[in-house]
Amino acid sequence: MGRLLFHLLVAAMMVFLLAPVLLVIPMSFSADRVLAWPPSGFSFKWYVAMMQERGLAEAARNSVILAVIVTAATLAIALPAALALDRWQFAGRDAVLALLTAPLLLPTIVLALALLIIFVGAGLLGTWPGLMLAHMLVTLPYGVRVLSTALSTLPPSVEEAAASLGAPPAAVFRRITLPLMVPGLVATCAIVFLVSFDEVVISLFLVGPHLVTLPVALFRYVESRTDPMVAAVSTLLVVFSLAIVLVLDRAVGLRRAVGK
Amino acid sequence: MTDAHLVLDHLEKRFGAGPPAVASLSLEVRRGELLGLLGPSGCGKTTTLRMIGGLADATAGHIRVGGRDVTSLPPHLRDMGIVFQNYALFPHMNVAGNVAFGLEMRKRPKAEIAQKVERALAMVHLEGFGHRKPRELSGGQQQRVALARALVIEPAILLLDEPLSNLDAKLREEMRGEIRDIQKRLGITTIFVTHDQVEALAMCDRIAVMRAGELEQVGTPFEIYENPATPFVADFVGRINRLEGVRDAAGDIVAGSLRLRAARAGAAGKVTVMIRPHRIHIAEGAIGPEWNDAAGTIRRATYVGDVLSCAVECDGTVLTVERHTHPGQPIPREGEAVRLAWRISDTMAFEA
Amino acid sequence: MPIASRIALALLLPAMLVNLAVFLLPMGNLALLSFREANAGGAMLEGVTLATWGKMFSDIFYAQLVLDSVVIALSITVLTLLCSYPIALFIYRAPDRWKNILIVACISPLLVSAVVRTYGWMVILGDRGIIAAMLRGLGMERAPRMVFNTTGVVVGLVEILMPYMILALIAGFGRLNASLEEAASSLGARPFAVFRRVVLPLTLPGIMLGCLLAFVLAVSSFITPKLLGGGRVFLLATEIYDQAIVTLNWPVAAALSIVVLVIFGFALMLYGRLARAVA
Repeated sequence: MGRLLFHLLVAAMMVFLLAPVLLVIPMSFSADRVLAWPPSGFSFKWYVAMMQERGLAEAARNSVILAVIVTAATLAIALPAALALDRWQFAGRDAVLALLTAPLLLPTIVLALALLIIFVGAGLLGTWPGLMLAHMLVTLPYGVRVLSTALSTLPPSVEEAAASLGAPPAAVFRRITLPLMVPGLVATCAIVFLVSFDEVVISLFLVGPHLVTLPVALFRYVESRTDPMVAAVSTLLVVFSLAIVLVLDRAVGLRRAVGK
Repeated sequence: MTDAHLVLDHLEKRFGAGPPAVASLSLEVRRGELLGLLGPSGCGKTTTLRMIGGLADATAGHIRVGGRDVTSLPPHLRDMGIVFQNYALFPHMNVAGNVAFGLEMRKRPKAEIAQKVERALAMVHLEGFGHRKPRELSGGQQQRVALARALVIEPAILLLDEPLSNLDAKLREEMRGEIRDIQKRLGITTIFVTHDQVEALAMCDRIAVMRAGELEQVGTPFEIYENPATPFVADFVGRINRLEGVRDAAGDIVAGSLRLRAARAGAAGKVTVMIRPHRIHIAEGAIGPEWNDAAGTIRRATYVGDVLSCAVECDGTVLTVERHTHPGQPIPREGEAVRLAWRISDTMAFEA
Repeated sequence: MPIASRIALALLLPAMLVNLAVFLLPMGNLALLSFREANAGGAMLEGVTLATWGKMFSDIFYAQLVLDSVVIALSITVLTLLCSYPIALFIYRAPDRWKNILIVACISPLLVSAVVRTYGWMVILGDRGIIAAMLRGLGMERAPRMVFNTTGVVVGLVEILMPYMILALIAGFGRLNASLEEAASSLGARPFAVFRRVVLPLTLPGIMLGCLLAFVLAVSSFITPKLLGGGRVFLLATEIYDQAIVTLNWPVAAALSIVVLVIFGFALMLYGRLARAVA
């Protein structure tokens, strides 16, 4: 009896947890003009409206391009950093790792404000380079962490074995280290892409009239209106994120990728 | 040694303050010799091997191969084959790819690589395994791939870091013979690191016993076993009885309740007496002058099929006595009174 | 394999430069900014001054703000714990096959933007939303207001923070295992006693970690209070935004940010003391 109650409680909590993400989907097909439950009819009109909303389409395009650039840049900077931290024993190593991870520990609102003030002075407000740097503030720590974990789970001694067989350091990296890091690299790409794509608070502070990202556009839309169009966008975003995770799992297996 | 192939010259490895991991080690290995580095964990044998292979930098000293100083060469230029304790096979390549790797690094033509890989796999009895992945292989098979991979490049020196310790007992014995055969056939100078003294005795031409970063003794298995240079070596290799005693001016030694004489004369003072259990016999009849003797009672008799081991208490001092079993020979009972005898020439005494 | 110090330094440099440019420099600047003052139009006045901090401590509005934020964050933390604990316990005891699926299911909401999840709550809690419809179906005349007020913010934040709490709990459950509960039962303890005397104490590290995480995230949360609060819920994060973007009083915004960081620091210190006491 107690077991049954416990299981019911767990089920109830899980429903609570997943409710908003799931309920957005039927709402997106609502035929109503406003957010109302239950929807009076089934309609695709909000999807149509979404495609026609120019601001949203442009913001979506910006978010994708930005996320791709940020992912590439993060990988290019985090990989060497992770290598150096894993291979080089030096006095301040733990401090450097802590410093590189620190941005994740602070509230995004504070980081956003700090960046806003500096960016205004440097003329980076509402610019692509500015936004890219701002996103890297939060994506670099993830990159360094995930890649460090990937490096630490390499099979022991394989690099030494390769060296003993005549491979100079560059060949060891190219033929042994890199191929074995592929799951970690893929995981980093997926995580960094999603973090940048979904990033809202910092972007909110730093966007400009000519450069808006999708989360910010959505935020402003929700602030001013409450109609089911956001549900349509949200449904697509949920499907999109799910697709990325599924591809990741198919390609390298979720557990292997996260290194646990 | 004029035909020394590998020379370690006052090799030293320090990690920070504290005692060194390897202290001023000097050793010469003949061409084609199989030398064992034997010792307990932490004695520095693996560190020494890693320095020879270039995987660890020596703090001081030199390493010479065929007269050439390789001390400052990185591992990929040393032309040595290394077999790691956990085999370190490349998981993302198949067996053939693993074995071919060293040859690819040497930019050999494809046809030559294919042919040599095939021959190497045949040598370790893994013909046809080329397409398998390492994770599909058993421990023993992985070990043979690791061996093939190290040998196919025809290195000047072969380094084996406890390659058999992850295998079960039966497989270990089998591989011992196989490695030995291959090594002799190729005539390749080999260093073999192990903590298993039976393995070292069985396989090696000579053994270097190490302890706390230093060499205790270098010699053939026979020399190490029969004439250990220190109590540590005597104790580490094979089973042994160990007694503390005092030698007087006349050369007699009193150890516990026993009076005995040792094989070699020495100064008066404290000594450590050591006697191999299988050199002690349960005496029947008269005991000659070249024998030490003691009276005792059987405390425990252990029968393990081929060997009978008895713990005999002689007035407070316990000696272990071993002998091979024979059909018809009765097993001594607990409490039985016996007389023990062993040759004076089998009695080792080390000054403290 | 070790690599030469110079190469390692070169590899680390880009990351350190980025960190300097977008983290250390801005944060340092922010801290200093709280010692400046701005006039009504948002222009920065010359000179270092304690006037802004003076305003912080003297104006009752800010004291109320901090108090509200902390109290709400604490209630959210407790509620999140109550909702997450059963799930975490269930997952922890589940066979490996199910464990992974369940954990993925619990983390999956994190894949979706906070804006989307908050919007989802507006759908559910709105005046014409799902809960209201259910309550009307049960006979209630007019459903209570659940959006654009503190209730909405609390409910929304609890759900948003649950994945973090669940993960932290599971991570901290390490010392618990089935054989301990079985041992207690065999010694005569009834289910509730087993829970109180064995399960709860052993899961305490996870509980503390989860609460720390939930609290710091709640006290600095912005999106959900802003959207679900409808501009009527004043918390530290929303005030920072308003001061920075609307009022353009950066020194005040900076000072408020420092206050948030100080609250963080206190929470961390408290956690450290408690964690050591429990270990």
